[in-house]
Amino acid sequence: MPEFLVFRLYGMMASWGDIAFGEFRPTADHPSRSAVLGLLAAALGIRRDEEERLSALSNAYRIAIRVDAPGVLLRDYHTSQVPPAGRGRKKHSFATRREELAMPREELSTVLSTRDYQCDAVSTVCIWQGSDSAPYSLKDLAAALNSPVFVLYLGRKSCPPALPVHAQVAAGENLAAVLSSVRFPDSDLLRGLLCDGDLRVFWEGDQDVGIPAIHTTLRYDNPLSRKRWQFGSRAEHYGVLRSRSPCS
Amino acid sequence: MSEFVQLHVLVSYPPSNLNRDDLGRPKTAVMGGAQRLRVSSQSLKRAWRTSDIFASTLAGHLGVRTKEMGTLVYRSLTSGVSLAEILRGANDAPATFQPVTEEKGRKWASEIAGIFGKLKSGENALEIEQLAHFSPEEIAAIDALILKLAASGKDPDEDDRKLLMKRHTAADIAMFGRMLAASPIYNTEAAVQVSHAVTVHPVAVEDDYFTAVDDLNRGDEGMGAGHLGETEFASGLFYLYVCVNRDLLRENLGGDEALTGAALRALVEAAAKVAPTGKQNSFASRAYASYLLAEKGCQQPRSLSVAYLKPLQDADLLGSAINALKDTRNKMDAVYGNCSDSWCDMNAHAGEGALQEVLDFVAGHHA
Repeated sequence: MPEFLVFRLYGMMASWGDIAFGEFRPTADHPSRSAVLGLLAAALGIRRDEEERLSALSNAYRIAIRVDAPGVLLRDYHTSQVPPAGRGRKKHSFATRREELAMPREELSTVLSTRDYQCDAVSTVCIWQGSDSAPYSLKDLAAALNSPVFVLYLGRKSCPPALPVHAQVAAGENLAAVLSSVRFPDSDLLRGLLCDGDLRVFWEGDQDVGIPAIHTTLRYDNPLSRKRWQFGSRAEHYGVLRSRSPCS
Repeated sequence: MSEFVQLHVLVSYPPSNLNRDDLGRPKTAVMGGAQRLRVSSQSLKRAWRTSDIFASTLAGHLGVRTKEMGTLVYRSLTSGVSLAEILRGANDAPATFQPVTEEKGRKWASEIAGIFGKLKSGENALEIEQLAHFSPEEIAAIDALILKLAASGKDPDEDDRKLLMKRHTAADIAMFGRMLAASPIYNTEAAVQVSHAVTVHPVAVEDDYFTAVDDLNRGDEGMGAGHLGETEFASGLFYLYVCVNRDLLRENLGGDEALTGAALRALVEAAAKVAPTGKQNSFASRAYASYLLAEKGCQQPRSLSVAYLKPLQDADLLGSAINALKDTRNKMDAVYGNCSDSWCDMNAHAGEGALQEVLDFVAGHHA
């Protein structure tokens, strides 16, 4: 029986970055591949500049997402004041943020951005090995997620998880079987958010997952290099997991 | 695994508009399907980082709070007596280095004082406009600089300046990551995570329709107001969550355990006492935290916002919010296993516990 690592992502707010230009930072309605890999790397303690370890992680695993609650969009108007850098002999250096903002008001410039978040969104992440040379066993990944090296967050640092992710390794015939049988002890805590009935699932790879694909789209969220902030495209399949019983 | 310090805060604000969007409306969020008032993470961090409490707590309880540091440095430079001795009031102590001329002493003392605050006007002024806090470590650093200047006879340079502010710079960046400054210390991962704060109850944002009278309008032509406007506001009891990666904080501070403790104290005290300053002159909505819960442990950190997923609507809002927080924490421990190893709380609603105890708890070593 193939094994799968399954964990739950819920927080008051989440932001799953999508292709972004300039000051507008949109969010997708379910976690991107890069976000899930980032969570694993944070849990394992892999730092942002460790390109080789990050790409080994990215190549080794396949990812699926079940959307348990879609959430609603929140658009945040974000301002940030920056002091002038100065030139030559007038070059400023600031010891603290307090000092930066103590500049005369007329000398401060403001950077604006629009940042999107999802509120009330819940998703279940499922991971399996896609190659024989996986750097970590699924059990190791589960242990790391449950007591991480770096703090976990849902796309932005201001979006902490509001439940333990409760990572667990489950065996099943295929993705559909595992997603149908896996349980989390949060139904009481998340009462009112989780929906009964059919749920959307997104997955990657060519194997039969037990869910018919309705359509396939290209997403540019496969991390290639963090240093150069490059992402490759990948095919993401979309289907619906029919429920035989109310989901928990 | 790492050790995490988590902080859960309940703070109640009267009618206010602390954090506005581009239309001037108080920011909101939806939680559990109901609209809540929100104060953004970035707004909270700005308020804390620029607060006096933050600067003074970091200087420690042994620090000195003064506008006069420039005068004392001048006295030290021109007498050859160390600054620490002069601060102790031992002005007739024996000289330990060759004094410098009054002209040089004044110039350098003014430059050193200017690092810690805005100098009063006038050439080579010695006093700064606001009280600044000096930690024992900073006083030692100034003493070292005084010795260096007296020995070399050269003016202080940019590196000397940086050395004096090292403690504050280090703590600021270690907690909140790299600044937008001109000379960034590369890629410091922020050790502090601050969530957006939201109210525990549903909120409808209200409009205040206001008019202003033109005092010189005698009613000869028109009787109308000189200005009409609307300002939007709301009040609320907020839940806010902060998580600190203690191991990362210590690493960012070069392994300095004492400074790690001081930084944690500064952060928690600021979180408990400092509010964003938006529209204070219209609303005077300053508030202290009513309830604080701090937790320590290596388990995966989590916010307790699910306590308020179902919005509260009780008459005793604060009492029920505190109970909901404690209940949720216990329930979560029951179904997931313990989510932290130890905890400490302060309850201003019941008058139990003390901020000082919570500060000692967060700064203390892992048991």
